[in-house]
This record gives sequence, C-alpha cells and structure tokens, in this order.
Amino acid sequence: MSTTTSLTPAVGAEGTRLRRRPARSGATGRTRAPLIARLARWVVLTVVTVAMVVPLYTMVINAFKPQKEIIENPLLITPQSFTPEFLWQAITSSKFNVIAAYGITLLFVVLVNVCCILLSAPVAYVIARGRSKWHMGLLLLFVSGLFIPGQVTLIPVVFVLRVLGLINTIPGFILFETAATLPVTIFLFSAYLRSVPRDIDEAAALDGAGRIRAFWSCIFPIMRPVVATIVVLNSIGVWNDFVSPQIILGPSSGIYTVTTGVYAAVGQFSTDYTQVFPTLLLAIAPAMVFFIIMQKHIIGGLVAGATKG
Amino acid sequence: MTETPATAPAARRLGAAHRVRRALPGFIMSAPAVIVFIAMFVIPMILAGVLSFTNWNGYSLRFTFIGWDNYLHAFRNPRSIQAAVFTGVIAIAGTILCNGVGLAIAALISGSGRANTLLRTVFFYPYVISGLIIGFLWSAMLAPQGAVNGILGAVGLGPLPFLTDPTFAKASIIFTIVWSHFGFNMILFLAGIKSVPAEYYEAATVDGAGRWEQFRSITFPLIAPVFTVNLVLTLVGLLKAYDVVLALTDGGPAGSTQTIVYQILKDSFARSALGLGAAQSVVLLIVTAAVGLAVTLVRRRAEQKVVDD
Repeated sequence: MSTTTSLTPAVGAEGTRLRRRPARSGATGRTRAPLIARLARWVVLTVVTVAMVVPLYTMVINAFKPQKEIIENPLLITPQSFTPEFLWQAITSSKFNVIAAYGITLLFVVLVNVCCILLSAPVAYVIARGRSKWHMGLLLLFVSGLFIPGQVTLIPVVFVLRVLGLINTIPGFILFETAATLPVTIFLFSAYLRSVPRDIDEAAALDGAGRIRAFWSCIFPIMRPVVATIVVLNSIGVWNDFVSPQIILGPSSGIYTVTTGVYAAVGQFSTDYTQVFPTLLLAIAPAMVFFIIMQKHIIGGLVAGATKG
Repeated sequence: MTETPATAPAARRLGAAHRVRRALPGFIMSAPAVIVFIAMFVIPMILAGVLSFTNWNGYSLRFTFIGWDNYLHAFRNPRSIQAAVFTGVIAIAGTILCNGVGLAIAALISGSGRANTLLRTVFFYPYVISGLIIGFLWSAMLAPQGAVNGILGAVGLGPLPFLTDPTFAKASIIFTIVWSHFGFNMILFLAGIKSVPAEYYEAATVDGAGRWEQFRSITFPLIAPVFTVNLVLTLVGLLKAYDVVLALTDGGPAGSTQTIVYQILKDSFARSALGLGAAQSVVLLIVTAAVGLAVTLVRRRAEQKVVDD
C-alpha cells in the first residue's frame, strides 16, 4: 500500500498551514492505520458500546422476570423464568396509570407545540422583516431567555401563576412550558425567515391579502423544515421535563405526566424490581420508538439549535 | 412593482393614522408572544430578585422583607456550601469527561459507513430519555443487589457501595451524567468534523501527515467553535444538575450528593422557604451567566489565536 493513490492538486493545500513535503512511501496518510491503532479503536468502541447497551438490555429482560431471578441472574433470561405477568401488572397498576400518563403527556406535547408555533412564527416574521432598532430589541429580548435557566424562574413563576389563579392547573403549566420554548423557537424561526426572499411577501400583497393572512397562507407553509425541527426538539423537552410538571401541576392536582408518575410510583418501591423494571420500560419505550423513527431530525435539529445559538 | 394597485392609493394618505395602520399587523403578530414572555420570563426574573429579600412561604401571597438574611443564610449554611462544592465538581469533572469522551468517540466514528452510523445511535440514545428515568435505571443497576454488583460478584469481587458510600455515590452520579450526556457532545463534534473540507485531509495525506497529525493540526483547530459551544452548553447544563441526582441518590447518603438546584427545590418546596430558594436561584443565575460569559470570552481568544496561526 502506498500513498500515491491520492493525487490532489496542490491548490487544496493552500488552505492549511501544513507545508508541502515530498510524499513518503510507507504506512501513513490514507493507508490503513497500524494494527495496534485499529485494535485499540476496536477495544475502546466495544467497551463503550457494552456500557451503553447493558443497562437497556438489563431493563428489558428483567421486566419479564420474577424478583428472585432478577437478583440471582441479572443478565440472563431463560424460557422458564420468562413471564409477562409483571409488565401486565405495571400496565394495569392502580398506583400509576401509565396509559393515562401517556395520554396526558402527549396532550401536553401537542398543546405546547401548537401554542409555541402560533406565538413564535408571527413574531419571528415581524423580527425577520423589520429593519428598525425596535425589531432588534425584540429579538434581543427573546434571545436573552436562552441564558436563563428554567429552575431560576420557576420559584417566581409559581408566584405569578398563584396571582393569576393558574397554579396546579393545565393552562398554567402549558403557559410556562410554552414560554420556555419561545427563545430557541423565535431565534431559529427568524434566522430561517431571513433566508426566505421578500418577493413572496410582495406576491402575497399583490393578491390583496392582509399582512397577517398573507403570512399564514404564503410564508408559514415555506417554514416547514424549521417547524419540524422545533417540533422535534420541543417534543423531547416537554415529554422528558420533570421539574416543571412536578412543581406547577403538583401532586395535589392529581395530574401525572410520565416522569412525575414514575417518580411517584418508583419512589415507593425502589427495591421491588418486579415493579421498577416494567415501569421504567413503559416510561422509556415511547421515547425510544420516537428516537428510532426521528433520529435524523433529532440530530439535525440539535446541530442547528446548538451551532446557531 | 412599486405602482401596484394595492399600494398606490395607500401611498397618497401618508399621515399618522396611516402609519399606525401600517404598524398594526406587526403589533398584532408580536403581542401574544411578547405578553407571554414578559409574564413568564421578565416579571419572574424581577420577582426572583424581590422575593429573595423576603420570607415568602409559597402558599399565601403575604410576606415581609427581611433584608439580606436569605443570602447570608445561603452563604453561611454548611449544607449550601457542600452543595455548591459538589455542583462545581460535577460541572468541571462532567464537562471534561463528556467532552473528552465525546470528542474521542467522534474522532473514532467520523467515517461514513453503516457501522459508524449504528454506533452513533448507540452512543446517543440516552439523550431522548428523561434524566429522572436514567437516574432510576442506574440506581437499579448500581444497587447493592443490582446488576453491576451481580457481574462483580461473578468474577469474584465483593459488592461495592456505589450508592451508599459518599465518595462512591459522588462518582456514580458523575459517571451516570457522563454516560447519558457524552453522546450529545459527540453529535456536535461529529457535525464539526464533517464540516471540515475533505481537500484539507487529502492535501495533508499528500504531505505525508499521519492520522494523529491530521487530527491535531487540521481537525482540532477547525472545530474550535464547536468546542466552545460544547464547553459552554455542558458547563451551564451541569450547573443545573438535578433530575439524575434526585433519582439516583436523592441527595444521599447523608446529604453528600446534594446539588445547588436540589437545595433550591428542597428549601423552596419541602421546607416552604421560597425566599431562601429565590436567593439561591439569583446566586445560581449570576454564577451561570458569569461562567458562560467567561468561557465564551476565553475560547474566543483561543479561536482567534488558531486563526492567527
């Protein structure tokens, strides 16, 4: 093997600070790495893969085993010890109604997404099209929210919601969660809208549509990719949020999301693994399904959100 | 385009009334988002400052001003200091490990190919699972009779007190955080590595640069901005560590693994001292903002140096 297979013109080298040296023959460059390096790579990746997979594997198999089997043989499952009994018990448990929790959390995900987009898209459009210092100030106002940790505002938000009479209610929770999504959403939306040519606005004006109607009927449909990104990120955020529903909805409301429900349920029987593992499996399953289907969008959205922010 | 039927009659009446009418749609489109944001972000931020000087208990809307007492209490209380120190340890150790492991793995699997894509999925999946659920999962894994001690027992090692000894418990928390978070850093590093033009590597190959040399002198300097984003996001994120701690150790044993946010929420809601919680929130906000700003500034200088070289 030699390095002479790659005959890039010298132009490419101008961008780098590497000086051009005569090509050496030998085991460098594009040739395969030395055996030791390949072996080390293989060992590292195998060890990390095992560390990543074992907890998930343990959770899944132990959701189908009795307590004694879980403790004696945590990593094995035999046809004799297999039983769907405990998973079924977890599904039908009276302490934590997982089906209701799925429904409620899904409802919250949908409501927050709808509210977030209805509020963010028009203001992002105004910001993207505006040229005055007011529009700049508006953007800065929202972007400053990116740097404020939600836990810091949570205590005074309880105060505000108490004043409004919305504490321990679903509208109060939706209001807070929606507000928490505004900074990232408005930032990404307005960045996206700046790349949309103004000709489209003018075309809409020609049709005689009002500015607001023109936005929803002509501009908003173009925003589909960035809306998809935001929906994916918001959905993960709302589905996984624990602190906000725990504090704003509170145990007194009797409304449990998947996370607050698991906290209420697993807290009580943390050494009874026949309840712990099936409950965790039920909590993780929807997120994993979503992850497998939406992986490309999740990664794309993350990269967009992090590198533009 | 300018003399369209829609704009021509409008241009004749250029008065104050007209300007208001022109600005009206913009107001209508911005107002809802601005109102929600002010109610749930701006007012709470101001309130956090005000409430931190009061003895508000969270239930009534009555309170009295008690001066700097909450701040003095927060800075003198050994519990708060211990929590602040451990939060600092989590933030620093976690940031180094998440980014170290994330960058190393990203460099190892940056190639195309199905195996690399699969590994990316395996390392990244915990991102879509709530920190609370991850904490419960690892608490089941690391319990005295859990799977990890089961494996250790099988190879003849005694059970280790992963969650019952203060030092082990702290290490367990940092491990669990790194386990669930490095995939996120890896994704951003991968995006950075993939954005480096391939010609650079080809040129370096012609020059006879080895793989490590290529990584050090091409990849690493060019992904400096991604590195900054990763550092800031991880540091700021880990200063807020809570969900994993709550589920894994619940602050124990003997309060040794409490974090700042754990303290804030415990003081605010279990001990009904929301004024004290607000004071600690304000301190956390200032620390978070200072750390984020400091890292960004230091890194900007480092990035500039790379460009100058």
